[in-house]
Amino acid sequence: MSNARLFRGGRLVDPQHAEPRRLDILVGADGRIEKIAPEVKPPSGADTVDCTGKIVLPGLFDMHVHLREPGREDEETIATGARAAVRGGFTGIVAMPNTDPPIDTGGLVRFVRTLAREQSPIPVWTSGCITKGRGGKQLADIADMHRQGAVMITDDGDPVADPYLFRRALEYARHFDLLVACHCEVPELSHGGAMNEGARSYRLGIPGIPACSEEISIARDLELARLAGARIHIQHVTTARGLDIIRRAKADGVRVTCEVSPHHLLLNEDDITDYDTYFKMNPPLRTPADNAALLAGLLDGSIDALATDHAPHTEFEKNLDFASAPFGITGLETALPSLYERLVLPGKLPWDILVRAFSQTPRRILGIEEAEFAEGQLANFTIFNPDGSTQVSVETMASKSRNTPFLGQTLTGAVEEVVLGPGLLIAAQER
Amino acid sequence: MSTVTSPPRRKDLLDIESLSREEIVFLLETARPFKDLFTRSVKKVPALRGKTVLNLFFEPSTRTRASFEIAAKRLSADVTNLAITQSSVTKGESILDTVETMQSMKVDYMVVRHAGAGVPAFIAKHTPAAVINAGDGNHAHPTQALLDAFTMREAVGELAGRKILLVGDLLHSRVSRSVSTIARKLGMEVGIFAPGTLVPAGRPDYMQPFADFGAALEWGPDFVYLLRLQRERQAAHFFPSLREYHNVFGLTRERFVECRRRGIRIMHPGPVNRGVELVDEVLTYEHCLINRQVENGIAARMAVLYWLQPAVAALPDEKEDAP
Repeated sequence: MSNARLFRGGRLVDPQHAEPRRLDILVGADGRIEKIAPEVKPPSGADTVDCTGKIVLPGLFDMHVHLREPGREDEETIATGARAAVRGGFTGIVAMPNTDPPIDTGGLVRFVRTLAREQSPIPVWTSGCITKGRGGKQLADIADMHRQGAVMITDDGDPVADPYLFRRALEYARHFDLLVACHCEVPELSHGGAMNEGARSYRLGIPGIPACSEEISIARDLELARLAGARIHIQHVTTARGLDIIRRAKADGVRVTCEVSPHHLLLNEDDITDYDTYFKMNPPLRTPADNAALLAGLLDGSIDALATDHAPHTEFEKNLDFASAPFGITGLETALPSLYERLVLPGKLPWDILVRAFSQTPRRILGIEEAEFAEGQLANFTIFNPDGSTQVSVETMASKSRNTPFLGQTLTGAVEEVVLGPGLLIAAQER
Repeated sequence: MSTVTSPPRRKDLLDIESLSREEIVFLLETARPFKDLFTRSVKKVPALRGKTVLNLFFEPSTRTRASFEIAAKRLSADVTNLAITQSSVTKGESILDTVETMQSMKVDYMVVRHAGAGVPAFIAKHTPAAVINAGDGNHAHPTQALLDAFTMREAVGELAGRKILLVGDLLHSRVSRSVSTIARKLGMEVGIFAPGTLVPAGRPDYMQPFADFGAALEWGPDFVYLLRLQRERQAAHFFPSLREYHNVFGLTRERFVECRRRGIRIMHPGPVNRGVELVDEVLTYEHCLINRQVENGIAARMAVLYWLQPAVAALPDEKEDAP
């Protein structure tokens, strides 16, 4: 067992305080927080970590990650994805079930959790499919998956197209109070589109996906959730109107939560200039007006969570023409520095809201113990250096894939240390 | 060659949007003396002697490919045709692999057609050869636009202030995107007439839409440009039947008579669907420019091949020739 550790001089962020507060944290040898105070004297034998000028955040949590294992271990594995998560400052992630085979039985949930326990430095939860094989025809073994620890069900990547089946899924999941997460899209409206439909898609000559493909699906799913009385979570919201539909449903008492990805906050269709397939994801990048609406939604609490939708693909797969390349970009290692550089640093997004949406609320939605700065709690925090920088390059990324729109950039700020219990998952010198 | 001074030469021709008005006018002026060659007994100049042009067609085409082939041969280049019909998505095959293979054969020009928008641009980034976009997805078909502008200038002279009406499938049309862009850059007014299903979202504001063919002709276009209708669009519910399409959006006999009365020029990128976009009689009309477009395509493509400059390194024997 390691020594007690004193993290001195850092500025702590927690959801209760808009401004970071300068506090020392003493973590005991057992990995629990012994003391938090403005000035803690180092006990004898304790290691001291100088956090002066650093931001200390509760360990981040990403409820939307594609780990690709089993089936596409050439793109990512549970081990490499979890490693990428730690690099990004995350101490917990939820795997999506669109693997090959899809996670649609209790046995497969158990497989993912077992592999994760063996190979991941942080807890990895998994979701299960709503329908068998994500086929949209029959319910998957929802109770079995729930019993094995699946924290939500989703056919992410596709909607459950059949509204009757989706109604039954919501009613069935309600019995277990299991969260149903939705990829909202009407495939017939997307109709082979590869980016947002509008002036940009016209100029590039790329088939477009209209915003209403997502919005109609959100509206349908929320009406069915209202009918079923089930808990529903709308994944990766991208449009202003879609968000308004969710706002109205929340006001009406529908048990709905939703998430936004960093890329949908920070990027839009105008960033697609050169048919760069690292800007292709589903739902697609929308408009600058949508960026603004989504940020407003995050600030006013209409959007509950931030989630990366980390979707690794090999370089080979992405090296195709824009329409043929697969959807999806990686996000775990760029999320925090990109949000810091473009929203927190310019004063558009306060730290407490970021922490609420990227640590507290997603854990709360899933009933997972929160990462709190409180004496007696397990140490679970991330030390972020706002004066550091994150090189986004193939050499520095832990993910097996490199398909990020930030590739080649240097982002402001760097995750330096991730502390989870008695372990120090990464240390500054690793970078 | 031409009396017009050449703007700095480019490596690739990927779209019309990135060309300046000066570059467009230069290419159109350059095409003219090339066209004069066609009436001679020897239709060939040595401009591209020793150069290799590869026609890299991922989408079937006979007309455009033949036009590029004849253009290159009239410039004395050697031409190889490569038709790759398999989908690029087929596992184990990538566009880049194909390009690298071709590059090993030291070609100087690649003429690329592909169903995916952006593929010629992608290839251009990965090859020193000069890349000419011969049509990519719904994006661009710049040599078509150049030959159309050439044809229009040949018919009426200066194009600034003239009007062109684009009719039909604007949504799936790289031709309409490139033709409207070149028309705009040359100072023309652009009208459009199409079923609501085939009008693309996000189209530029300068396109003036018309509610019916009659009103569009009242607007007084100098050119009516009929876009080719893919028959299979009917199955995807873009229109109920070819008969109805023709009746509402086609150049019917009655509308043709009105065009003839007004002396409007008729254009079409070919191949035409007789009885759909137009009635047969149009093809023998004195102001029907369709066959002229085909002929001018060779001259316009010669101008493009002549102007572009591959980034292929000079070979040792060429260096020795240098003073």
